Amino acid sequence: MNLYNPTRSLLLPLLGVLFLLAGCNPTVSRVESDTVTDLSGNWNDTDSRLVAQEMIQDVLSRNWLSKFNRDKGKAPTVIVGTVRNLSHEHINTRTFIADMERELINSGEVEFVASADAREEVRSEVKDQDLNATEESRKAMGNEVGADFMLQGSINSIVDAVSGEQARFYQIDLTLIELGTNRKVWVGQKKIKKTVEKGGFRL
Amino acid sequence: MTAIRDACYMRDKRSPSLDGRLVHRASFFLCLKVSLLLTLGALIQSCASYGSHATTMRDGLLIGHPELSLAIAEEKDKDMEEVVSSLDKGMLRRINNNFTGSNEVLEVAKQEIEKLYGFSVTENLASVTINETMRGYEGDRYEQLLLHAYMAMNYIQLGQLDSARVEMLQANVKMMEWGDEPDEDAFLRYLEGIIYESLGEDDSALISYRKAYTIYKDKGGEQYPVMPELIKKDLLRMLAWQGLWSEYKTYKKEINMPDFKPVKDSNKFGELVVILNNGLAPIRNEKALYIFSPEVQQNLRVAFPAYDQPKQNLYLSQISVDGKQFPLETVEDVDMLARYSLEQDMPGIMARATARAVVKYNSQKTASDNSSIAGLLMTVTNLVTERADTRSWTTLPQEIQLQRVLLPVGEHTIQIQFLNAAGVVVDVIEEQVSIKPKRQSFVIKHWNTPVPKSKIGIKMGVAGSAVQGGIEETAVARSAK
Repeated sequence: MNLYNPTRSLLLPLLGVLFLLAGCNPTVSRVESDTVTDLSGNWNDTDSRLVAQEMIQDVLSRNWLSKFNRDKGKAPTVIVGTVRNLSHEHINTRTFIADMERELINSGEVEFVASADAREEVRSEVKDQDLNATEESRKAMGNEVGADFMLQGSINSIVDAVSGEQARFYQIDLTLIELGTNRKVWVGQKKIKKTVEKGGFRL
Repeated sequence: MTAIRDACYMRDKRSPSLDGRLVHRASFFLCLKVSLLLTLGALIQSCASYGSHATTMRDGLLIGHPELSLAIAEEKDKDMEEVVSSLDKGMLRRINNNFTGSNEVLEVAKQEIEKLYGFSVTENLASVTINETMRGYEGDRYEQLLLHAYMAMNYIQLGQLDSARVEMLQANVKMMEWGDEPDEDAFLRYLEGIIYESLGEDDSALISYRKAYTIYKDKGGEQYPVMPELIKKDLLRMLAWQGLWSEYKTYKKEINMPDFKPVKDSNKFGELVVILNNGLAPIRNEKALYIFSPEVQQNLRVAFPAYDQPKQNLYLSQISVDGKQFPLETVEDVDMLARYSLEQDMPGIMARATARAVVKYNSQKTASDNSSIAGLLMTVTNLVTERADTRSWTTLPQEIQLQRVLLPVGEHTIQIQFLNAAGVVVDVIEEQVSIKPKRQSFVIKHWNTPVPKSKIGIKMGVAGSAVQGGIEETAVARSAK
């Protein structure tokens, strides 16, 4: 009886390893985009969506809009400025700004002009048309619509933590400022609070 | 695991010629051990000796070819699962001026550290049966904090100050979580203050400076460098700017700087902030020792990590701008921190090593009681697997040095000069800086050693105008003279 048959003693553990590895395939399941998926407690799509929803409802229901319509007889034109991230996480503010922009444009109550970066690109295209496009299709420069309001804001956070436990508080402030007069016509605010507990054990 | 166990049991049943129970136990242990070894074989191999890998990897830095070091680092752990490899990659990408790439891989390291939170049952079991490298490496506390500092520096160099601020806040949360025994890092607090100040948040900057001052005061000379002149001046200046005069007077007395006068905030000046990463952190090497175990009445061999090289003497460094020289001050002594940290961990490391030695001795004994081959195999296995954990972030600098200089608004050519003991300039990094009113302009560099002249000749000939940044810049500066 050869107890230390090399092939045998190698084969068995290898089989065991394969068995272990078999359980490691990733499992994917599709979920609705509005399902709440809190994994790490970090800022996620749900937070972004909640902020956008709340802000849009608020900004469209306030009377700066009807007042502007009454005074000027047209829909206000808005531009998105910077939303500063002053929180403790690297938050992509573009998702909820994009959400807000879409809702506001689709509501028909507000018009948006392209942001500074996007404008540059569009301008260089118009400039290029000046040289290369046909007379009929050419767009003239100097016909841009100036914005009436600018949307600015910030995300702040306060974190309280003891070992393995955290309370996170986010506050998102957005302000609509009238260009020229610097009057604040609308201030929106959304607060989100979460508690995160980390497991003390792992495998 | 059950599959392996069942297989082992089945084999026992087919060996009726031997004593059932004993063989049962011995071969079960062996089987388990061999299978564990095989499963973890690759792992052991890869971190068998991080120390020697680090030595090879750092060679490129020492001869002025950081891209060679990066190439070695990138080859290792391509799935980015090991924290220590990701940290090295992050640092070397930075040194090679790839700040975005550096942050990408450091972010991965950050997530992995987060995953390693909590007590792992299997890893701790493995660390007392096989060796320490079976434990997930999450980095010492100082390394975890410096991770944020280097990500912040990357963001600063990318011109994203808000993101650098995010890193500082994350480090803050981390320090908060450690809670009861505050393990605050002096340099991190100081850097935080500088970042706040450059964002115009003077009130927050004051709090950070105050904290940094306190840490230098309490732990200077033991864990952190002796209080730099810089922090004293910054604290006083900020107190004056905030109009906190009674506190200003108290600190001024404590600091003993009767001649100090805070500069006025002026639109004609901006501030140059130079951060120099000088030298390289120490490497842990493996040491072995025989300790007597009263439990088994035997001398047992244990392996443990040690910093067996003495601290290196660094070249002196200074900034030269507009004909004036300003010495760079050490704000973080990574060498000191690393040694201090290992010293703190040593009781735990030795306790686990002793426990491990006893477990291994017993397994050897059980195996050799039954069969001499099994015993021999076990002995060899135990010897081979007894490895010290030499992992640490070895691409960190030996010291982080800093200086802040007020300069008139406009373009300036600054030099970071390195001097030998005789005061002779041996190497120079030259940089163009644009100073903006009331703003901070950062120059952040890494440097290790003067590049030998012959090497420069070769490099200039081959690489020509492609040389850039970090150590390479010295070559450009010198050839221009």
